[in-house]
Amino acid sequence: MAVPRRPQPSTFTLALLKPASSALPPLRAIQKVIKKDKLQEKEGASVKDQFGEEMFSTEEGSGTFVFPDVSAKTSEHLYSNVSSVGSRLSTQDSFTEESSISEERLAQEAEEAKRKSEDEEAAAKERAAQRQLLAIEELVQSERNYLRLLQLTTFTTRSNLQQLQPPPANLDSMFLYIEEVIDVSSRLLSLLDQKQIQPGDPLFLETLCDSFLSLSSDIEAAYREYLANYSNITLVENSYKEKEALWNDIIKVIKTSVPDVNATSLTFFLVMPVQRIARYPLLLQTIQKHTDPTHPAYELLEKTAHTSVALNVHINEYKRFREVADKYKKTEPLSIKDKINRLNTHSIAKKTARLSQQIKHETGITPKLVDEEFDALEGLFNVLERGILDLLENVETYLHHLQTFLACKTEEFDFDMDGEKAPICYKEIATALRQWILPTFEKRMQTLIHKPLCALRDLLVGPRNLIRKRLHKLLDYEMIEAKSNLSYEEQDVANTYRTINTLLLNELPQFNGLALQMMWSMLGTFNCLHRDLATDMEQLFQSFAQQLPHSSLDHNAFWVWAESEVLEGARRLETLCQSVEETLNAPVVQPLSPSSQCRLKQLTDKHGSGKIYQVAGPVVGTRDLDLNLAKGELVAVISEIDTRGDKKRWLVDAGGRRGYAPSSKLMRYHQPTEGPPPSPHLTLPEGVTGFRRHSYTPETRPLTVRSQPVVQVLAAYDFTGRGKHEVSVRAGEPIRVLEPHDKRGNPEWSLVEVRGGKKGYVPSNYLTVMPMGMAPPSSCSPYF
Amino acid sequence: MSWIPFKIGQPKKQIVSKTVERDFEREYDKLQKLEDQTKKLHKDMKKSTEADLAMSKAAVKISADLLSNPLCEQDQAFLESMAALDTAMRRMDAFNQEKVNQIQKTVIDPLKKYSGVFPSLNMAVKRREQALQDYKRLQSKVEKYEEKEKTGPIMVKLHQAREELRPVREDFEAKNKQLLDEMPKFYHSRIDYFHPSFEALIRAQLHVAVQLPAAAQKGTKAAFVVSLRLRCHESCPAAVSGTHRLACPPVQMLMN
Repeated sequence: MAVPRRPQPSTFTLALLKPASSALPPLRAIQKVIKKDKLQEKEGASVKDQFGEEMFSTEEGSGTFVFPDVSAKTSEHLYSNVSSVGSRLSTQDSFTEESSISEERLAQEAEEAKRKSEDEEAAAKERAAQRQLLAIEELVQSERNYLRLLQLTTFTTRSNLQQLQPPPANLDSMFLYIEEVIDVSSRLLSLLDQKQIQPGDPLFLETLCDSFLSLSSDIEAAYREYLANYSNITLVENSYKEKEALWNDIIKVIKTSVPDVNATSLTFFLVMPVQRIARYPLLLQTIQKHTDPTHPAYELLEKTAHTSVALNVHINEYKRFREVADKYKKTEPLSIKDKINRLNTHSIAKKTARLSQQIKHETGITPKLVDEEFDALEGLFNVLERGILDLLENVETYLHHLQTFLACKTEEFDFDMDGEKAPICYKEIATALRQWILPTFEKRMQTLIHKPLCALRDLLVGPRNLIRKRLHKLLDYEMIEAKSNLSYEEQDVANTYRTINTLLLNELPQFNGLALQMMWSMLGTFNCLHRDLATDMEQLFQSFAQQLPHSSLDHNAFWVWAESEVLEGARRLETLCQSVEETLNAPVVQPLSPSSQCRLKQLTDKHGSGKIYQVAGPVVGTRDLDLNLAKGELVAVISEIDTRGDKKRWLVDAGGRRGYAPSSKLMRYHQPTEGPPPSPHLTLPEGVTGFRRHSYTPETRPLTVRSQPVVQVLAAYDFTGRGKHEVSVRAGEPIRVLEPHDKRGNPEWSLVEVRGGKKGYVPSNYLTVMPMGMAPPSSCSPYF
Repeated sequence: MSWIPFKIGQPKKQIVSKTVERDFEREYDKLQKLEDQTKKLHKDMKKSTEADLAMSKAAVKISADLLSNPLCEQDQAFLESMAALDTAMRRMDAFNQEKVNQIQKTVIDPLKKYSGVFPSLNMAVKRREQALQDYKRLQSKVEKYEEKEKTGPIMVKLHQAREELRPVREDFEAKNKQLLDEMPKFYHSRIDYFHPSFEALIRAQLHVAVQLPAAAQKGTKAAFVVSLRLRCHESCPAAVSGTHRLACPPVQMLMN
């Protein structure tokens, strides 16, 4: 950024010439200069080669190049005009001899000097123009060369590097932002090329400046990101250098990709933008140095040069901001142990000082430095942060449910209803939805909403840390603010605070604005995705819905139909279910024993059929007035409560005996309304066809049968009487039953009369009945 | 009727003929498969409608949370747009709710009822099996006595066994016949039964799909208007740490 310190040669020449050539009006001189300039510029290209060497060799001393010459002539000229002692001394001899013609000579000399100086002037201008041209040429040429190398690096070298096995890590981060730099550079060149003007044309300089100025903001934006990232590039390259094999490969790739340059590292190329941006001011200033201030583009050129300097300053400033921001916005995942290790007296002192300052604020001892603008920004940021976090959480919930929805494979059922239209349509719809429409929807949702939101959330961390750090630095700053003399360290603290504050004030509004905008557009996208989804679904459903038999019904009518249809289906189902229940789940029935039959009739007559219960299991009485009941026995319930109000103990009538029985052992006895269909295997004679059925009771229950003329009662097993009340019987012996129970009504014993008129009791379950015709041949005639 | 020629030396006869047994097995297998499928579909339907509802509730929560955010208090336009967005979301949710209710009524409830029949059917089959076992047991008992010598006590026992067998056999035969009759009928009933459900399922979703775009369009507009306005105000490209370029869909494309 060298600002021209020496006066421009041409300017100087003109200024000196004015008094000498007073005959020439200054305007004319200027016109001449311009004319010559134009002339030279037209010659430009051809002259360039001749002057090229001179130009480069004398670039530094170009200011003095014309100088001695001109001054010598001017001084001579002055002498002759004033005719001072000096002239007399120098021309002492001639003066005396040719004093007569001295006047004439003087005039001649003046004329000559004038002409000479004009020539000199023209030559000087020409040379200046040549140099200007060369400077311009250099800028353009070097720009082209620079762009070529950058493109080579970015495209060829990069793709070659990517093909390395294994590909180097973080390769992409090395080439971050270089595209923007290339883009802006090629735009600059294309703007120049568009005009199709030769560099010699004075318009060319104007175009150059215009292009540069118009692109300056883009140049700044592109380069500052690149430069801010450059430290990262060197870091990555150093990490490559540590791995020798990889580094050798990389070098090889570089050499083969860019053979014409003897480069030994990637940064050789990647540093070029850094050098280039600093070079613009130099190049522009060189052009400016060699440009006549009267040049039409001079002012523009000056402005451009200043802009380029300002560009560099801005970029440096930005880099500094970025460094501060990067330093503080990082969050290091530190364990508590690390944190303790990091503690030292300095940090503790700093933290305590901050804490005390904060307490002072809270208690109102010292006034807070209030920055309303910042507070408003911070408030907005906080609100925004909450909104974004809420949004992200809800979107995640939404996506989670969507995935659950997708996991339900509702189309994978097989009702074996292949002939039916509706289920086939539904299957196809569900398949299309689940495999195509919804996954697309989900993917769009992920990429358009979820991912940007996550990125936005991650971006929130930086500003959040900076805001926190700003508070810390503010506390530090407040303490030293009052001091007049600041030490170096304190100066640093104050600077850091100011930097962070400015940074936040500048960039937080931008961040807030962008975040807000993103949030809104994401909300819009969210709705939009729904709309698209619904449209897709509508198309899908519409095409199938028309195939359905009830598609002609309108919305309400359809639902009325569907609901009534469903109800009808439910009703039919219920009927079916009932019939299944009734007929299939009916318990196995068995004929009621004659004694039970008798008791049933007796009880029904006495108490009514609703009161008849059957004993579900054997009951052994434990308390007074309890009955002992056998399983399957029929009883009539007299009262569903005992005298003490116990509802679990019912008073029952067991065919004469009365007593209490636990209600849990009693089941209601359902009397079949009609008898069973006559069975073809029913071999019992007419006398027993009147048997009624009662609920099945498993296990061999005693079959006590009243003696009937048509039925022969036989002893099924041998039984030996144990006392005078019991009689002995032999298996197969015909028996006549007198009473099917004992004196207490216990049906387990029966009073029988055996052959020979002997009477006594036998266990009822030792007896069996047999129809008359089936009496064993060995037995004699049935006993009556 | 003489008992002498009665079943002596007769070969053991198959209680249930093989074809009957095979028919029964086939029908029962079909029913079991149907039961599995019904249960599965019922479960899936229930889960998917639940997820569907939860999804639209989450969508409503998105706008509701933002509406209650102080962000909206800062700008009238924000508040209005957010309210519009919220209304749109709620309408979408209402449509969805209606759809889910209809599906519940016409699809899920019938499915549940249908699968509720299977336990009693299974019980019936189990009972039949029990009856068959009893039948076999008693039958073998009868056969055992028939093979024995015809003495008095044996005759008594044989008679007793036959007496016991008779109702059991009748019971089994009735059950068997009934089941063989009912199972195909029941299996067939699924077609008429489920037909309206599937039609309703398609119609319900179609109805939402027709209604939804209009509601969503309103919300989309409301949000994009704000977004565009913000974009016009904020033309600065770089955020604080503007290293990320976020892929927002081109607004024009979405607005059409």
